Amino acid sequence: MLSIHQVTKKIEGKSLLDNVSFNVPKGSSIGLIGPNGAGKSTLMKLISAYEKPTSGSITFHNKDVQQWNVKKLAQRIAVLTQEGLAAYPIKVFDAVLLGRYPHLGFFQRESKKDYQLVEDVLAFTSLTDLKDQFLDTLSGGERQRVAIAKAMVQQPELLLLDEPTTFLDIGHQLNILKLVKEWQQKDNLTVIMVMHDLNLASQFCEELILMSEGKVVRSGSNEEIIDSDLLENVYHTTPEIIRHPKSNVPQILLGHF
Amino acid sequence: MKRPTLTHSFGKVAFWSILLSILLLIVMSLSITLGAASIDFIVVWKVVLSKIPFLQNWITVDWKESTETIIWDIRLPRVILGALVGAALSLAGAIYQGVLRNPLADPFILGVSSGASFGAALVMVFGWQIAWLGKFTLPFVAFLAGLASLMIVYYLATVERKMRVETLILSGVVIQAFLGACLSLIMALSNEQLQTIVFWMMGSLSLTDWSYNQIVFPVISIAVIIAYFFSRDLNMFGLGEEVAHHSGVSVQRSRIIMLVLASLITGAAVSVSGAIGFVGLVIPHIIRLIFGADYRMIIPLSVIGGAIFLVGADAFARTIMAPRELPLGIITAFLGAPFFAYLLRRARRGFF
Repeated sequence: MLSIHQVTKKIEGKSLLDNVSFNVPKGSSIGLIGPNGAGKSTLMKLISAYEKPTSGSITFHNKDVQQWNVKKLAQRIAVLTQEGLAAYPIKVFDAVLLGRYPHLGFFQRESKKDYQLVEDVLAFTSLTDLKDQFLDTLSGGERQRVAIAKAMVQQPELLLLDEPTTFLDIGHQLNILKLVKEWQQKDNLTVIMVMHDLNLASQFCEELILMSEGKVVRSGSNEEIIDSDLLENVYHTTPEIIRHPKSNVPQILLGHF
Repeated sequence: MKRPTLTHSFGKVAFWSILLSILLLIVMSLSITLGAASIDFIVVWKVVLSKIPFLQNWITVDWKESTETIIWDIRLPRVILGALVGAALSLAGAIYQGVLRNPLADPFILGVSSGASFGAALVMVFGWQIAWLGKFTLPFVAFLAGLASLMIVYYLATVERKMRVETLILSGVVIQAFLGACLSLIMALSNEQLQTIVFWMMGSLSLTDWSYNQIVFPVISIAVIIAYFFSRDLNMFGLGEEVAHHSGVSVQRSRIIMLVLASLITGAAVSVSGAIGFVGLVIPHIIRLIFGADYRMIIPLSVIGGAIFLVGADAFARTIMAPRELPLGIITAFLGAPFFAYLLRRARRGFF
């Protein structure tokens, strides 16, 4: 469905991404991990055609994302950034309704179906009680939930998440990821997610891609990637690998002082 | 099941638009009654309605011909021009604030008014008259000069076919400063026309004539309609530029269209009335503070609100020190600033 082919991105001679290639099959959930400056966010911006690669190509349904019409692409790819939505004072309902934008013609008004969809999604994301609140009165976690609702209303087949839980406390972090998981199971959604928290990434994603200095270091299952030596090479710290007592997936403990 | 909020809010837009439109008509007709010759409110309406085909059969002419001349040929075109200019400046301000995501943006931020003022000052000082334009020479040259300065600003702000908002605002500041200096130079060198130039720069609706309305009206009505259809895009800009892109907005294209549109109507307004400050800054903010930041609300209500405000301000300008007429820009600042300050103090929410 999505194929990244020898992508390089340079800004003023400095290489942010260097010859990155991988494929994303439909329905998969892929986690991009790696230290700061590894090029994860840059890659996400290239996939969503927000920026152009210096060389190489990213094709979505056999067509370069740069060639896609912005609106057509937004019908199929939705993006959640770590900043999420700005605290702009419009109502939650109206903000979520804006997710219908790519499906509407320039002169077209939202139909009853669109309203119904928004109501359903608000219920799914437990936002029904907040729908008449203004965005700027919400907490960061609530606003990120609105961003997810807006992305759901967009009805994409591919969801890109760029550290969606960065500014959230642990309760909200898990909450947001659970929501995405439920959505994924409901609609056979494909998810690519940039994650800083390796433990969450290990629990959430089927496949992890470890990046460093603009290159893919290794990709594989969490069993392969959450590996003490491998992580030490990339992060320059020695984590302890343990097993999650409930789900038995590999987790890390940071080294001690 | 309860109907969701949006249909609601469309009804809300319609309700407030109609209410404010009625208020606008009242303010306009009150403004016509004011002046050296005081005219009855009812007579104003009778004269206006008597000009409408079909309706005129129902109205008996019981007023003097001179009254009709004052109403129809002098005061009404001025009041309509005031409404149009107010609407245009307010709409332009609302668009600039949304697209540039900057609460300080006003219609003059990209140097359109400086260019127009410079062009107008040149015409006044050198007494140019282009034969086939006649009395339209001044607004025409002002409009072109405004447009030219705008193009320079865009040119300065565009790097590798991309335009950054911060650079755009800075380019506007640079051009404004430069043209301001040119204007000051012209003023310093001209003795006789100094007062005309100053008066024009502070804004005035004394170009009273139906023919100006005939040109400005279609420009502004079309702009209002186009802008309304862009209200979704403007809301999206509010949520963030990147969010807008990811939701399918062609950010660069929408931005250019909106900026050019706002600049065109600013140019049209400035060319007939001079640079009337404060309307474009304050009215959209007042609408925002009262009704929220949804552009489906802000656009229609700013248009009507701007019209009401400027018609009212012009009535003050004409009457407060009659028979002297004060520059409109002074009145708009006197009225707008305190009211805005009051709203800022009692506002519950921050708005940008």
